[in-house]
Amino acid sequence: MRPINILKRIALIACPAILLLSSGCKKFLDVNQDPNNAASAEPAQLLPTVEASIGVVLGDDYYTYGNIWSQFFTQSAVASQYKSIDQYAQVNADFNYGWQHLYQKALINDQLMISNNGSNPTAVQYLAIGYVLKAYSLQLATDAFGDIPMSEALEGSADKNPHYDPQAAVYDSIFALIEKGKALMDNSDPNNPGSADLVFQGDMDQWTAFANTLELRAYLRLSQVDPDKAQAGIAALYGTNPTFLTSNAQISYSSTGGNQNPYYIKAVALGYYENLAASGTAVNAFIRNSDPREFAVFEELSGDTIAYLNQGTFASFVNKTCSPPSALVGGDPQDAASALAPVFLISASESYFLQAEAVARGWASGSASSLFTSGIDASFAADGLSGTDAATYIASAPDAVFPSGTADQIKAIITQKYYAMCGSQGFEAWTEWRRTGYPTFLVTSAAAGGRPVPLRFLYPQTELTGNTNYPGTVTAATPVWWDK
Amino acid sequence: MNFGNRGNDINPDDVASVTVLAGPAATALYGSRASNGALIITTKSGNISKKAEITFSTTNTFSSVLKLPDFQNQYGQGFYTGVNSDGTLSYDTQDWGDNWSWGAPFTGKVEPWGQQIDGVQQQKPYSATPNNIKHFFSTGFVTNNNIGITSGNDKSSYYLGLNSENSNGIYPTSVDDYNKYSVRFNGKANLSNNFYTSVNFNYVRIQSNNVAGGQAGGSVLQSLYQTPRDIPIDKMGNLNNKYNGYGYTDAGGVYHPDKFGFYNEFYPSPWLLLRDYKNYDDVDRVTGGINLGYKPVPWLDVLERVTTDFSSDRRRLLTPKFSYTPADPGVIGDPAYPAGIEVVSNGGYEEDTYTTGEINHDLMVTAKKNLNDDFSGSLMVGNNVRLNNSTVTVTSTNQSAGLITPGWYNFGNSNGPIYATNYHSTQRRVSVYGDLNLAYRNMVYLDATARNDWSSTLPVDANSFFYPSVSGSFIFSELLKGSTIEKILNYGKLRASWAQVGNDAGPYQLTTGYSQASIADGYTNGNTIFPFSGVPGLMINSTLGDARIKPEITTSREIGTELGFLDNRLSVIANYYSNRSKNQIVASSVAPSSGYLFSIVNAGVIQNQGVELTLRGTPIKTADFSLELFATYTRNKNKVLSLPNHAQIQVGGFNGMAIVAQEGKPYGEFYAVSNQTENGHTVVGASDGEPLPTANAVYLGSYNPKYQGSFGGTLNFKNTWMLSFLFDTKQGGVYYSNTKSGIDFNGTSAETGGNRNPQIWANSVINTGTASQPVYQTNTTAKFIPQDYYANFEPAGMDVVDASYVKLRSLQLEYQLPARLLNNSPFGHASVGLFGNNLFLWTPKSNKYVDPEMNSSGSGNEQGFDFTAQPSVRNYGFNIKVTF
Repeated sequence: MRPINILKRIALIACPAILLLSSGCKKFLDVNQDPNNAASAEPAQLLPTVEASIGVVLGDDYYTYGNIWSQFFTQSAVASQYKSIDQYAQVNADFNYGWQHLYQKALINDQLMISNNGSNPTAVQYLAIGYVLKAYSLQLATDAFGDIPMSEALEGSADKNPHYDPQAAVYDSIFALIEKGKALMDNSDPNNPGSADLVFQGDMDQWTAFANTLELRAYLRLSQVDPDKAQAGIAALYGTNPTFLTSNAQISYSSTGGNQNPYYIKAVALGYYENLAASGTAVNAFIRNSDPREFAVFEELSGDTIAYLNQGTFASFVNKTCSPPSALVGGDPQDAASALAPVFLISASESYFLQAEAVARGWASGSASSLFTSGIDASFAADGLSGTDAATYIASAPDAVFPSGTADQIKAIITQKYYAMCGSQGFEAWTEWRRTGYPTFLVTSAAAGGRPVPLRFLYPQTELTGNTNYPGTVTAATPVWWDK
Repeated sequence: MNFGNRGNDINPDDVASVTVLAGPAATALYGSRASNGALIITTKSGNISKKAEITFSTTNTFSSVLKLPDFQNQYGQGFYTGVNSDGTLSYDTQDWGDNWSWGAPFTGKVEPWGQQIDGVQQQKPYSATPNNIKHFFSTGFVTNNNIGITSGNDKSSYYLGLNSENSNGIYPTSVDDYNKYSVRFNGKANLSNNFYTSVNFNYVRIQSNNVAGGQAGGSVLQSLYQTPRDIPIDKMGNLNNKYNGYGYTDAGGVYHPDKFGFYNEFYPSPWLLLRDYKNYDDVDRVTGGINLGYKPVPWLDVLERVTTDFSSDRRRLLTPKFSYTPADPGVIGDPAYPAGIEVVSNGGYEEDTYTTGEINHDLMVTAKKNLNDDFSGSLMVGNNVRLNNSTVTVTSTNQSAGLITPGWYNFGNSNGPIYATNYHSTQRRVSVYGDLNLAYRNMVYLDATARNDWSSTLPVDANSFFYPSVSGSFIFSELLKGSTIEKILNYGKLRASWAQVGNDAGPYQLTTGYSQASIADGYTNGNTIFPFSGVPGLMINSTLGDARIKPEITTSREIGTELGFLDNRLSVIANYYSNRSKNQIVASSVAPSSGYLFSIVNAGVIQNQGVELTLRGTPIKTADFSLELFATYTRNKNKVLSLPNHAQIQVGGFNGMAIVAQEGKPYGEFYAVSNQTENGHTVVGASDGEPLPTANAVYLGSYNPKYQGSFGGTLNFKNTWMLSFLFDTKQGGVYYSNTKSGIDFNGTSAETGGNRNPQIWANSVINTGTASQPVYQTNTTAKFIPQDYYANFEPAGMDVVDASYVKLRSLQLEYQLPARLLNNSPFGHASVGLFGNNLFLWTPKSNKYVDPEMNSSGSGNEQGFDFTAQPSVRNYGFNIKVTF
């Protein structure tokens, strides 16, 4: 805005009515350019926002639900913040922020990055990542909520009441978006996102591996509801001689206020209470296998023990001190190192277990057993354990035996994937349990009060009251489409 | 945090007169800001050719809590841990630090409670402390002192007013103080050459500390209402007592700065919040104006008026940093049961500055002429230019990590990057207006106005809007003069009007911009805040602008009559109106799946129709004694007639409760999830007996009352004793109570009393069919547990409460010393009075929560919301006024 000198101002104030249409008065009134906001944003300014938003969804909004419903964690006996999760007592409003962070932070900024740069030759790699992250976010949304707004979503003023698309259609779009993104990826493109990419710092080969692994994950998700489609999709994927992730796709955090691990930030805001405790379901499974990862993901109490609570039994052990999740998985508010826990979008071990399953099902070629072992090795490495520890475990643990027969192999693979995801990928572990029923040792929470085990999130309150095309709440006990 | 509104800045003792300008006259002169009429407050400026006069007045007011929620008095601290074989609940008895009141039934037996400090626990009977909340509050006091000086000679006069108002509110200790000082100077002079001029100037300074309410961190009310029913919180104000305080000296004389002794491990003591959490507010406001008039000939008046209003509001919010572990060593010998957990606050310091400025210029030319004996008329034309600027800056220490060193409130003490935002706005408006008055023989009056505004906030090529009005009145009693009817009907007037008023948008509502990314999660302003590890990030704003926003236009039609009977001993005023608002500009909540949370929209057509009746009578009138009574009745019916382009608009909301506009319904319907019902029976879950929520939001009534009324009177004895009273009422309408939600959750509300064992929900049914083909059968087996219902399931729809009330708004007794007593004194006038405001409140039995007038967000779209509102107060006191 250019300054107006005093004389001019006086002249303008005295501006008689008759002169209103003159250019001077038009200029006088032309002061509505918003000085508080930027009119546009570069792709390099939106990509990190999209990635960090996904980090908040995984690391905070989905973290407690995923880790408690997969029975890695349970509500501790010294506080009460997450009681209702163990009680299966959800209401719509519980899911407002997860949904908002997906749609109104991750997806909309991703969409604007894509649609505002369709013909921008310097933004091709951003678009490539943008398509894949859109697919990733849509899967995160649909796996939790079932049918979701997609084809009419993110259109702003054009459609403020988006209709909901069937989950099958969302999955079709996920595959299309991944293909679209992969086709644009080029690691030699000089206009590389670099540090604006919080996940791979612009390494487009890593993004290609990410996209392939995501595609494999998405096809395997359809194994129960549409195995033919899953098989055909995986065959086509393998036909491209794909690379898969061999390292963790993650967002790293620091100890700077506002840049810490999202669950840790929430826990600090809530007063550092240790709301989460090790669940007996996971701990006993670790103990059965003498699995040292138990001590990596949970804090030891004095005497080298992990003090756990059986799932949902907080009311019977009031004030009992239990082992919280460790700083490695961001779950111990009393340990400042929790601030540094990364959030995994897809982990290396998950990548191996996905490949192992594809092979075990006969939908891809390779050695299921060596992929299975690689998955365990990658998990031990992620938990800071040595190759020797992994070898000992593989040689001795009952659940590390790779059996024969497809059904048993799948059971072994998903069960191992479950161990690998303890504390770090709770939502994906719960999702895979919903798909496969593995592991088989999950129990009904002692706090359930007769309520059925949740199989999905409830649509948020904000859609219920804000969307005139809201399809009605689907109860938490209703399985999603792929959960057959 | 509610820091009040700036209307408080006018000192009532400076006011000479208040005129209510309703309808067209207001809108032509004052534009859209007067769309609901205008209050024209004229401050004193002295009287020309009147002797000097000094007025001193003092008003001293006490205040106390008027309405608190009703609490249960059967159950104390704790929660249930399981269901016994006989169907009763078992309760936790170990947890000294819980803030729930879902514990065991009271026994009256003396039992230990709270922390065990130095090996000793306090003892008290395990029974209710029914008045623990009420007695927490103290009596507030306000003293308002005023000196006014007026003087004048044959050419000029002035008024000088000095005012102080010092108050200490109803929270205990003097933390909720409020100190206001103001000075006003008004002067006027008639100059030679037919010029006249006046100036006015007012300066107000306010310094206060506000106690946090609502659900804010540091909310004293939240901490107080979350106190179990057996805890004598009102008697725990001595923070040096080791069982109440933070930091204590043990039996061996060793001080432990990191230990606390208070009973509650989840909320800090309200007494600590009062002492250490500060919300300071400093306001400076200067308003002033200059009028310069010129009357070249008696019938012509040219007036130039410039007024200014500048204010600066500086707030400092102090949140202490602390970390305390319980003084209680826990169950000795059992490491599995330590005493409790750490109570931690990272602290913080925030400075917010709000500056606003407004400059108004008006040039008005008025011609008045009596055309002949019968006809007279006046024509005014004017031009207005209004400029508004505002700046807001909010700066705070790191919002996650807070302070480094406790007790040092400075940005240099920020543990991590400082958080800072700023906002600047400019809004300009140019208007021309005219007002034509015609009168015939004091009998027929016609008034026509027109105004055109050009606003900077509307699209550049469509920034003009025009709104005319016409009104007329006919005093038909003039025709009856001298007839016998005049003895009965001495005054009669009919009037009718048609008027429009327009309004523009707020600044910058045409576009949707990007701001620094920050991903809020409901507990923090930003869970992840950018820059992220040095990488900058932007995000699209959550409010979607509308590049084609249109101005709002409200059209009102009104007819009315005023009748005076028996020499005005009885008078009646009756009006009927029908208003239609078109294109109201609303920031509507939208589905987040659209990518946005709010959208600026033009709403459709909203109609308000109603009647207003006033009845005034003087049943007794003698030389010494008179009694005047009056009553008013207002009924408004409001309806959304059309909403083109929108199936529904959400105009407000909070905590799962939305306020919507839906075609065919009243504007401002509550809309939320409630308990499912089937033919009047509550549908419960077959497995847990808990009421099931509705699958979609349902309409739950409107905040608009069915009718409002008042009844008042004045008894006057010899013009020395005056007694007056006023009752008023609103009937119908509902409000959403977040207070109810909070105290239900906590198990302290009255409705959580009674039987708490697993039980069948009265008249409930269960669905034995499927979701799509339900079969409802009477529930005889599935038992719900009240604690689970109130703490987990109770939907927002169940927190909608009848907003009806009757209030004794005021009661006043005034004694004016008779002139003969003052003749030999220096006083020209002296009076003393006693008064009370909001003395009594009657609400329906179903409203066990708050004063329904405690509307947290004031007027506007979000009416009828109680966000854990501060308790309303009753005021009573005395005043003395003397003039010299």
